[in-house]
Amino acid sequence: MPDAPAALHDVRVIDLSGEIGAYCTKLLGDLGADVIKVEPPTGDSSRGVGPFYHDQPGPEHSLYFFNLNTSKRGITLDLRADAGLDVARKLIATADIVVESFRPGELEALGLGYDAPTALRQDIIVTSITGFGQNGPHAGFLAPDIVGVAMGGIMWLAGDPEDPPNVPYGFQGYISASIQAAAGTMMALYHRDITGEGQHVDVSMQEALLISQETAMQTWDLNKGIRNRTGARTALPFPVPGIGPYQTTDGWIWSYLGTPGGAPWTDVLKWMEEEGASEDLSQTPYSEIIAKLDIRYLTGLAIDKDGRERDGPHLEYIDQVLRRFYAARTKAYLYEHGQGRRILIGIVSTPEDLANNAQLNARDWFQQVEHPDLGETLRYPGPPYRLSKTPWRITRRAPHLGEHNAEVLSELGYSPSQIEAFAGAQKAS
Amino acid sequence: MTENGPLPLDGIKVADFSWFGAGPICAQALGVYGATVVRVESESHVDALRGIGPFPQGKTGYNVSGYFNNFNMNKLSVTLNLNTSKGRELALKLIAWSDIFLTNMTPRILERWRLTYDDLIKVRPDIIAAYQPMQGFDGPHRDYLGFGAVLGPITGFNHLCGFPHRPPVGVGTNYPDYVINPMHTLVAIMAALRHRRRTGEGQRIELAQIESSVAALGPAIMDYTANGRVQERAGNRIAHAAPHGAFRCKTAKVTAVFGEQDLERWCVIACFDNEQWAGFRAAMGNPAWAEEQRFATLDARKEHEDDLERHISAWTAEQSPEEVMQRLQARGVPAGIVQSGRDTLQDPHLKQRNYYVRLEHPEAGAGAQDGPGFRLSKTPARFAMPSPCLGEHNERVCKEVLGLSDEDIANLLVEQVLY
Repeated sequence: MPDAPAALHDVRVIDLSGEIGAYCTKLLGDLGADVIKVEPPTGDSSRGVGPFYHDQPGPEHSLYFFNLNTSKRGITLDLRADAGLDVARKLIATADIVVESFRPGELEALGLGYDAPTALRQDIIVTSITGFGQNGPHAGFLAPDIVGVAMGGIMWLAGDPEDPPNVPYGFQGYISASIQAAAGTMMALYHRDITGEGQHVDVSMQEALLISQETAMQTWDLNKGIRNRTGARTALPFPVPGIGPYQTTDGWIWSYLGTPGGAPWTDVLKWMEEEGASEDLSQTPYSEIIAKLDIRYLTGLAIDKDGRERDGPHLEYIDQVLRRFYAARTKAYLYEHGQGRRILIGIVSTPEDLANNAQLNARDWFQQVEHPDLGETLRYPGPPYRLSKTPWRITRRAPHLGEHNAEVLSELGYSPSQIEAFAGAQKAS
Repeated sequence: MTENGPLPLDGIKVADFSWFGAGPICAQALGVYGATVVRVESESHVDALRGIGPFPQGKTGYNVSGYFNNFNMNKLSVTLNLNTSKGRELALKLIAWSDIFLTNMTPRILERWRLTYDDLIKVRPDIIAAYQPMQGFDGPHRDYLGFGAVLGPITGFNHLCGFPHRPPVGVGTNYPDYVINPMHTLVAIMAALRHRRRTGEGQRIELAQIESSVAALGPAIMDYTANGRVQERAGNRIAHAAPHGAFRCKTAKVTAVFGEQDLERWCVIACFDNEQWAGFRAAMGNPAWAEEQRFATLDARKEHEDDLERHISAWTAEQSPEEVMQRLQARGVPAGIVQSGRDTLQDPHLKQRNYYVRLEHPEAGAGAQDGPGFRLSKTPARFAMPSPCLGEHNERVCKEVLGLSDEDIANLLVEQVLY
């Protein structure tokens, strides 16, 4: 639907937000907003973050930057200089939304705090995305992603108990802050559509993450219990067959046998029998245990010491046979054939598996984005959601540094000679 | 900005046919910003979260789960048995009343219950119908089984998160269920609401949970599609900062459920540039090891990161993470406590921002719930009602929304339709 309307076709966003907010403004841009990303003349810091195209570092090669900055135009402004500030003010006066991530107070010091845009345009929405929000004792703290995921509680839960707590891959603090910020911005925009009133959206990366602690906070609140990281172990104090990561010939699967919703363990045994790999599991005492092997039985064992002593070694044996069954097959085979039998097995996908994923590809999920300067079309992650009438769409690749300086200045009414003078001044500074 | 001022979604009605995390959290966000949300449940298919703890001490049953009660505030609960034709009729009546329909049930069950978009627009042509299937409504894996626990593995989180010498254990939770999938859905719903307000036209939203989740792993995807590289788990280290990791601090004694216990404490520290590294050295009192040439630049520190981390761990070992954080942040060095659930609840910053919400629940008491994920200055989120007991609002919804009489209601109870 190339001509379908975009949900945000009439919305202009000035993006002063840097790395923490880049995914927020991508979400707005991919929904059709005119996003103008403002970078310092030296470039956004995320241009220096890898991976890089063909492993060649450089501001125009960051795949990280590419992916986070689709559907945006880009200009460079030195906000420490009057000329740059002047352009910023003029731009903000044309904007519906400003997204920013300065430390609280810094934008005010530049004369661009929430009050300033409001003076320029009364109904403006300013979305501030920071580590800890606009007020409170930690508001001024430095907060790269790792500080957010630590203070937001999700890191405590991640990893093996014998290792340090783990920072989840992919700057998930920034991602969560950005998604919450996009949702908050859309909420504020809807309110403005109805009432004409703008407002300030305050997003704290820490708060954006807290709900992802699952039950850790309540475990303390209700029971004074500490929920710790458990790695691959289940909550049960003995080895449980068929739950967790298992090695295959070419990688890993995650197996979740005997859980509600999936086929019972007896179906797993049948599958192993059909493939001639059940060894002696069809015999006593294993077959009897397999017949009752579900979550109810296992949780019962947790409080039944005699039962545990009686069945524990058999459970371990069943697990060893299963381990051999999995280890002799490929992860794709186990995923597809397990799922075909309603046996709950998930493939532990590598990036390569995802790129080749039959489901994602059947649904044309990945997007082709042209990069003429690289002489290539690159394959990007696709839409997080599909809207039938106002589709998500990458409208353009990420901007080169300062790519739209002249275009945007000209839209603001600058003459060609003024534009040239501005460029010269910025280069000199 | 008063307690009773208007909210953005005043007057918007939501039929919430979702369960577990991804759907209910989204619907709750609609509710706290003013929408009227009716959560449809059934005793024949109780939301599993109602059965999973933690529970308040000494209490059991479907209404007291701290897990469930964190995701369903500001909702009315009605129980409808959709395996009955009368139950499905009432469901369509509820949908005809609604502006937004939301579900994360599987495509198979939605087809069986006749709750597809095509079914819905017959009773409510301008409905905004948001579906959150695991894999999508088409494609060869459409009917694959899955929920949070296998979503992490399937979408790449398990392969990419963790330490290289370990199996792909994941991040310890059903992570995409809590922000990525519900809040992506909220963004899409708000876009659709905006379009409907302008044009009168509703639409169908499909958020395949695997697509929404993989979208959050962009760098690894692009490293493969552009460079052919399969990234591996790399622990806590990243290429452009050193140190960048978690460091063990002084063990604390806490009084927990089983009496006094030792509690591991950790802090994170990161230096992205030489200025931060200089601040860190100064905070440590400029020890001799830190002045060595092999730690002088980022490249050098990356090269000797094992040694670097050993030295830092020795420095943090005798301090609390609070001390480390305060000391380093005062010097312009990024640092933070690796907070447990206990720590977040006691976090002085969050207290000052009044983050946690405590609503008196008729059965569960006043447990803490997560507050808003974003804050609006003029229309702040309003947490007005605790999560409902199962079927708590059957009568109210039947009368006020479905227009049923007392007699109808009595019959529907007997026939196990309101069930």
